[in-house]
Amino acid sequence: MMHKLDRRAFCFAMGLIGLGVGSVDVWAQDATIRLGIVAPMSGPNARYGSFSLRGAQLAIEEINNAGGVVGRKIAINSGDSQGTPVEGVSATRRLIDLDKVDFIIGDVSSSVTLAMQPVAEDAGVLLLNAASSNPKITYAAGVGGFKWTFRNYPTDENRALIVIQYAAEKRGFTKFAVLSVDTDYGRAAVDFTKKYLPGLKGTILTEDYYKEGEVDFRSVLAKIRDSGAQAIIMYGNADTTPIIGRQMIEVGLAGKVPLIGNAEFNTESTIKAAPKALEGAVEAAAWLPAWDAPKSLAFVEKFKAKYRETPNNHAYVHWETVHLLAKAIEAAGSADRAKVRDALSKIKYDSAMGEVTFDDHNQARLPMILLQIENGKPAIKGAYAAEIKYPAK
Amino acid sequence: MVSAIFEQIVNGIVSGSVYAIVAVGMTMIFGVLRAINFAHGEYYMLGTFGAWFAIEYFDLPYPVAIVIGVVATAVIAVVVGQFVMQRIVGAPPETGVLATLGIALVLQNTVILVFGGGYKFFSGGYIEPVSIFGFTLAEQRVLIIIVCILVFVGLELMVTYSRMGKAMRAVSQNIECCAVVGIDVPQVALRTFILGACLAALSGVLTAPVNVSVYGGMGEIITFKTLPVIIMGGLGNVRGTFFAAMILGIAESLVATYVGLQFRDTVGFATLMLVLMWRPHGLFSAQARF
Amino acid sequence: MSPNDLSLPAPRRDLRLPFGAALAVAACLAPLFLGNYALHAIIIALIFLLPAHGLNLLVGYTGLLSLAQAAFFGIGAYTSGLMAVRFGTPFYLNFLAAGLLAAAIALPLGIPALRLRATSFVMCTLGFVIIGQAIAKNWISLTRGDMGLSGIPKPYFALGPASFTISGTTSFYYLVLVIAVMATLAAYLIVRSAAGRNMVAIRENETLAESVGIPTWRYKLVVFMISAAFAGLGGSVYAHYLTVVSPLTFQMYYSTTMLIIVLGGGAGTISGVVFGSLLFVGLSEALRVAPEVRMIAYGFCLLALVFWFPKGFAPLIDRFWSFLRERK
Repeated sequence: MMHKLDRRAFCFAMGLIGLGVGSVDVWAQDATIRLGIVAPMSGPNARYGSFSLRGAQLAIEEINNAGGVVGRKIAINSGDSQGTPVEGVSATRRLIDLDKVDFIIGDVSSSVTLAMQPVAEDAGVLLLNAASSNPKITYAAGVGGFKWTFRNYPTDENRALIVIQYAAEKRGFTKFAVLSVDTDYGRAAVDFTKKYLPGLKGTILTEDYYKEGEVDFRSVLAKIRDSGAQAIIMYGNADTTPIIGRQMIEVGLAGKVPLIGNAEFNTESTIKAAPKALEGAVEAAAWLPAWDAPKSLAFVEKFKAKYRETPNNHAYVHWETVHLLAKAIEAAGSADRAKVRDALSKIKYDSAMGEVTFDDHNQARLPMILLQIENGKPAIKGAYAAEIKYPAK
Repeated sequence: MVSAIFEQIVNGIVSGSVYAIVAVGMTMIFGVLRAINFAHGEYYMLGTFGAWFAIEYFDLPYPVAIVIGVVATAVIAVVVGQFVMQRIVGAPPETGVLATLGIALVLQNTVILVFGGGYKFFSGGYIEPVSIFGFTLAEQRVLIIIVCILVFVGLELMVTYSRMGKAMRAVSQNIECCAVVGIDVPQVALRTFILGACLAALSGVLTAPVNVSVYGGMGEIITFKTLPVIIMGGLGNVRGTFFAAMILGIAESLVATYVGLQFRDTVGFATLMLVLMWRPHGLFSAQARF
Repeated sequence: MSPNDLSLPAPRRDLRLPFGAALAVAACLAPLFLGNYALHAIIIALIFLLPAHGLNLLVGYTGLLSLAQAAFFGIGAYTSGLMAVRFGTPFYLNFLAAGLLAAAIALPLGIPALRLRATSFVMCTLGFVIIGQAIAKNWISLTRGDMGLSGIPKPYFALGPASFTISGTTSFYYLVLVIAVMATLAAYLIVRSAAGRNMVAIRENETLAESVGIPTWRYKLVVFMISAAFAGLGGSVYAHYLTVVSPLTFQMYYSTTMLIIVLGGGAGTISGVVFGSLLFVGLSEALRVAPEVRMIAYGFCLLALVFWFPKGFAPLIDRFWSFLRERK
């Protein structure tokens, strides 16, 4: 009998959960502005999503404590994409239809963002991306088609150019090894690099891509060491950089062959993990925790105080993007979606890194810094504004 | 050239040792429970997190953290074992698949919920490089190889001579007969499971210093790396697992060097398929029991 | 009926037909009273139903546990996506091509794999997914690698001069509904045929089946191909619905989702799989109410399912059917 009761209770619970789906929009009507965040929050990709959500939450807290925007508070609704397109689309649909959000920020993974684009477009909901680097996202946005997609994150073309130019001209490297992450980000950045290499008389000696979550680089680093490359082109994930750094020390690459590219070489904990390997590393970054601007430093402090960890790039861009959105709402004078969209395309936003504006493909022109690790500290070597050349249609 | 190949083989042995310690637990669990444990990598993750927690929150030295990581995992394994794994004994394979997938989801996402999903930084361990036969290795890797050898010698002795080991072998051969002769099958299953989970945790704690990044979802990759090893080694075969892990480690290392790192993850399954074409019951199993 | 109620045999009314009809009407009218989000969830459930039917033929009827569905799902998605993007072919061509190609690729993969015993076979099929992903990532000239295919057009039909495009959620719902009903019918016909009974014989006792003259080897191979075809067809619809295909389509996520649908719904029954796909997609969506604990709760649901309903929901559905039949 007990057994039967358990089953019945289980079915009952399932039914209740089912009812939960339908009943959410009961409290959809109030004065808050609804913002949806789509990010991977469970499974292995949660390691990227959690920083995004925390960054956004911190920004919301700041805005609401200061009285909100246009007299209204912002409420956050989160949707879990698990880093999978189908889940991301489900989360987006739910945010739009049930939670009635007006604005969505998401996702980290480019494939998910690409799948979310048409959904947001059909619903006329503003989709602000803050972490995907696939160039196609804004090739197809603005005058390219999707009117409701904006991206406040750099694509990789300029980054690749800046880095390789500096490495070739200032450091005199000509022989490179590629070790990048096997995603659209790593692959695209290397493709762009290859486009500029012949002009700089550079050659690539070895080319390898690591899968996300890879932990063993000894073999490939030994190959690079024996190949005689002068620098390693690395566009990768922040969590892998300390691993590669340590293994460079092991195989005897550290101090001889620097890393160049972008994978958060500049964070304190990364440098601490492998100081010798990261010395001389060259990176083009859209932000760094050590950036000496009061707004940026204050963000790092607050984030550390709240979450007990140092924010990474994803945390920063999401924090900044929420503030950017708030600014656009303020400029529009209301939370009306179309007005905010128009305000966004005309905005001149004063970010922690400098002025942000959007081009006609709704792609942010972001200030970017070139830095080099010297004596265990990032030293700024120059600032650039990223302007994208779009392929002729 | 020769020394380059030799160095890659050494690299392969290092990563093979890590796979071996994780895989041997999984293969023993399979032998007794007949279930593919899709949650096995999660115990690797739990061990790492336990040690990370001890170091980060209580400033404990690394050797103590190893113990804490393994013990914490053992405690969780006792709970999971009693409530879930014991019930799998004798159930159809589908049950084991669904149950362990469920456990994997629960463990992985509970850790994400409690500690936050972001990647953490593991500080501790012996990461200074040492030079052996002209190669440089982190001290930690030497430690891993030594521990791996110790673990396998210990297991080999245990399985052959101890009461527990004999019971395990008996259960893996015939559950009904064990019940007839008075072997407490659920108890043997539970103990095997806890032992397997602890070995996975040990492997996690030992590799954490060289792998640096710690995050809730890190176990999944380990599970998928381990699966081909246990099949190649002949399911339930301790010695076979050791050699299969070494073969996989060396093959991966050579592919990463001479073909490309992007193909590394496919090596395990590609090797597995080739091996199975040739010997459908794995490399080291005289006959298929499963 | 109580034992002392023997005097008059109560007139039995078979309610199965009216219930079935009501279900059909409800399915047809669903867009009228469901929001876009609920429709979307049902579309996803119906898309997943296709590979799940294929897997059910393999697991539930022939007794072969397989994790390869994601590989064939991905092959179908890429076939359909590539044809639509490169050649602009109409939907039904892409759809058929996806199914055929998946089945064709399953043939050379199945020949070695099916020689293996239980667990080795499972691992081998898992290998297909991992290797499939590596191919999708590295055969850049064909698949565009990690950049993936985006902007896959919504399904359009061209018959002679007339052509029309399925664009909105509602019309897509009807398209998927038709496809799902046809697939369910196909699965039902296969299962009820003599071949279906032979499959069950193989599941129950392969040696015995062989000894009574069933060509077990050929059967297993053909079922493996049919199952791949189902997955390929599902992948095709998926590609046109989400408009994006990337190497992420070759993910264990899909294999495990299909497995959960089939085993949780009730392997070896058609209605169980249909119910399972709606239930588990519904459950995963319903749990979005609490994003933080969503996957934890999902995991616990799986555990509860395994121990309380070891045969999935099929026995419950059976009981429900007989309840309908015997009701006065």
